[in-house]
Amino acid sequence: MAAPNLKAEKRTRQRYRRERRFKALCVGAILLSVAFLVFFFTDIIQRGYTAFYQAEVRAEVTYSERTVDLPPAAVDDEVRPFVSRGWLRQLPDHVEADPDLMGQTVTRWITADAPVGQYLKGQYSELTEQEKAEVDRLREQGQIRLAFNTNFFTNGDSKMAEIAGIKSAVVGSVLTLAVTMAVAFPIGVMSAVYLEEFAPDNRFTRFIEVNINNLAAVPSILYGLLGLAIFINFVGVPRSSALAGGLTLALMTLPIIIISTRAALRAVPDSIREGAFGVGASRLQVVSHHVLPQSLPGILTGSIIGLAQAMGETAPLLLVGMMAFIPSAPEGVTDAATVLPAQIYTWASMPQRAFDEITAAGILVLLAVLLTLNATAVVLRKRFERRW
Amino acid sequence: MQMPQPNDNPRSSGGIAARSAPGTAELREEDDTVESGDRSQPTPASGVTRAPEVGAGAEPETAEAVHPTKVDVRSLSLWYGDTQALFDVNLQIPDKDVTALIGPSGCGKSTFLRCINRMNDLIPSVTTQGQLLLDEADIYGPDVDVVQLRSRVGMVFQKPNPFPKSIYENVAYAPRIHGVAQKGAEMDDLVETSLRKAGLWQEVSDRLSLPGTSLSGGQQQRLCIARAIAVNPDVILMDEPASALDPVATATIEELIDELQSNYTIIIVTHNMQQAARVARYTAFFHLGEVIEYDRTDTIFTTPREKRTEDYITGRFG
Amino acid sequence: MSNEDLEQSFFRQHISQRFNTELEDIHSRVLAMGGVVEQQLIDAVTAMSETRFDLAEKVVTSDYRVNAHEVEIDEACTEILVRRQPTASDLRLVLAVIKTVTDLERIGDEAERMGRMALHFLEQDRQNGPVEELADMGEQVRSMLRGALDTFARMDVDQAVRVAQLDIQVDSQYEVIVHRLMDQMMKSPHAVPRAMDVIWTARSLERIGDRARNICEYVVYFVRGKNVRHTSYEEMAQEATGDRH
Repeated sequence: MAAPNLKAEKRTRQRYRRERRFKALCVGAILLSVAFLVFFFTDIIQRGYTAFYQAEVRAEVTYSERTVDLPPAAVDDEVRPFVSRGWLRQLPDHVEADPDLMGQTVTRWITADAPVGQYLKGQYSELTEQEKAEVDRLREQGQIRLAFNTNFFTNGDSKMAEIAGIKSAVVGSVLTLAVTMAVAFPIGVMSAVYLEEFAPDNRFTRFIEVNINNLAAVPSILYGLLGLAIFINFVGVPRSSALAGGLTLALMTLPIIIISTRAALRAVPDSIREGAFGVGASRLQVVSHHVLPQSLPGILTGSIIGLAQAMGETAPLLLVGMMAFIPSAPEGVTDAATVLPAQIYTWASMPQRAFDEITAAGILVLLAVLLTLNATAVVLRKRFERRW
Repeated sequence: MQMPQPNDNPRSSGGIAARSAPGTAELREEDDTVESGDRSQPTPASGVTRAPEVGAGAEPETAEAVHPTKVDVRSLSLWYGDTQALFDVNLQIPDKDVTALIGPSGCGKSTFLRCINRMNDLIPSVTTQGQLLLDEADIYGPDVDVVQLRSRVGMVFQKPNPFPKSIYENVAYAPRIHGVAQKGAEMDDLVETSLRKAGLWQEVSDRLSLPGTSLSGGQQQRLCIARAIAVNPDVILMDEPASALDPVATATIEELIDELQSNYTIIIVTHNMQQAARVARYTAFFHLGEVIEYDRTDTIFTTPREKRTEDYITGRFG
Repeated sequence: MSNEDLEQSFFRQHISQRFNTELEDIHSRVLAMGGVVEQQLIDAVTAMSETRFDLAEKVVTSDYRVNAHEVEIDEACTEILVRRQPTASDLRLVLAVIKTVTDLERIGDEAERMGRMALHFLEQDRQNGPVEELADMGEQVRSMLRGALDTFARMDVDQAVRVAQLDIQVDSQYEVIVHRLMDQMMKSPHAVPRAMDVIWTARSLERIGDRARNICEYVVYFVRGKNVRHTSYEEMAQEATGDRH
């Protein structure tokens, strides 16, 4: 009796050891990926959060015929070196926007030059020692401060970091994705519904199915080439436009939407279809009254994930010219536009140090948007998920 | 009695004859020539299993009315692709009575049940041959609309499958798509009547807007029955309606079947032989796609004629 | 068909081995009970015909064994009904067993009554000689009971018909005995008490014959699924030999 017991005990102990080892490996894998994520986020946030603050200088701004022609003259000599030249260049626009300003002198906070901000944030700055002392003095007097960077959200791209913003890229992204969804969602859902609910199961439909699955794995740059060839060269859609980019991304998103929609349709139990057929519903009624409403959360989730993927895509957009420098937001889908990831890429390749932090800030915004989209997908799924 | 047309070709379900395997087509044609000879005789000599004759013996219950035939199945055969699943089924199912189909798994009883409202049309590879007359009209005839047919032949499934909509919507759905009742008071009445007939009104009258899936299993199944009877069908097919339910819910369903049989022809597939014995007046035993025996339920369960029936119902090695 | 063949075909083919055993068990218990009842009958007849006081007492005191068998088999049948919900031939077997057991118990009662009668007879009228009139009828009924039990053991329909027909002879023997005793009674009134006792005993034997016939009818019911009670012998024979389709 004793011997087999001992043997069994030994085996049990071995089994427990093996299970512990395996569990430890799995936990290790998770910890590693969490560590990468944490490292990535801390790095980006550390680099990027300062971009949401900006140095401002309090100065008397004189709006007159002369200063519109020669903006640097609008402010005192004392603060002139610290004022953003980019801001001064916008002075004529201010007057144009608000003609009442003409002939007035207004004391206001204006954007400081990038090196001032860098100095105040304790980063490397091009300022001379003398200038630094001056900045310190003005700061003591309350003439210079760090304030929330509104330029980043209200301006388009600029060659000057202190007034460069993501507005045009965000608007470009929204327009592009609107086009993408408007095209890819109906086509994708209809295709999936046909394949899943109506199409007979034969060689031809299986061939289509295999091809759709393959399309989802095609490198996105090839979609760019396709978009370039079809939409720009053949159809004649304006280059760099949100329309061209959106259509190209639609091509890329289509397989994802079709696949996820089919999965959502397949997840609707056949018992629902049978029940509906059983009371004499036609195929169209079965699909539109029962199957589609049931699978909608799944379809939306899949589409949002496709959307998020399209949102983060740059490669195909490179080829349709959406890497352009766009200082002002596009007003329609045919205007030249850029998108957030492209904007980030552009900033990342700028030589000035000041662009470092707004690149990181741009990444933060992009991440926030993507996370929001994915969270929306999760919420939708949770909310509409029904048991049957 | 309507005789088959001379050019009554073998048909396939849902007009997909073109896709049936060539071998099958040949086979069907052969069968058909043989059968058309048989069919030309007006006698039931072609092996039609008559509804068992009730008036034969001298027992007191034979005074019950002999119900006319509602569903008349003549030489029905069915193929899944090249595999034959039903072999020359002949049955005459009486009106306003409960008929049970029993048999081991895969014996074709569910397949047969699904022929009666052409649910098999949904499977593309299915081909059928023979006649299935509902009130003497062939439901596989060329001018039969499946949607219309299914409003006359309702179905209740093994797993309760209420639509994931409100209780009210579940019942109102079929009448609405068939245009049986208008929105508003008329529909409200119809929903109430159907739920009452299904014995569910007492339990759900105060929560009609709750989802049907929030009910218990037995209630869900009764909701499905209410859904089926809302369009007032002639025939209700039940595919193991109580197999997913506990004994109490099962008893409720069986009681309901008992009440419904005065107004509807009920055909029920069941694995539970005691259930067949409890609810059905007639029982057909299916084995390997054939009807082995069709008789009064009490006869089947006390003195079956066929050894295969006996072996099955007594739990012997078949 | 031998007994083993029968059990092969009727009981051994269930998927549930335990069910097979249960059915075999009630079947063989009926036979065991039959053996006890048969012995009671033999003893009662012998007690009467050979004036064996000891046997008469034994019959009277042993009836409890028959009753105990009846209760046991009834319980076993109830259990099978509850647990197995038998159908078709299984159901008919259980029903046949229940009914056979009832009849056997009544046969036991009749045997006991005969035993009491014998006691009474022997106590009251010791000068009376043995009752030879009943020897033949007793032998006939005994062989009929044995035949019925044998039929039940083998579930042999043909034999069932043959054994059931023996009841005709038993009935006529009874008539003969009654007539003869009536004559005696009319001739000499002092013979009346003895004649009455003998008539009562003959009556018991006649009833045992009826019950043995019942057992044969249950065999036909079990095998053919036909109820042949309250029919003529011709009908019974026809049903019993009729084709099973």
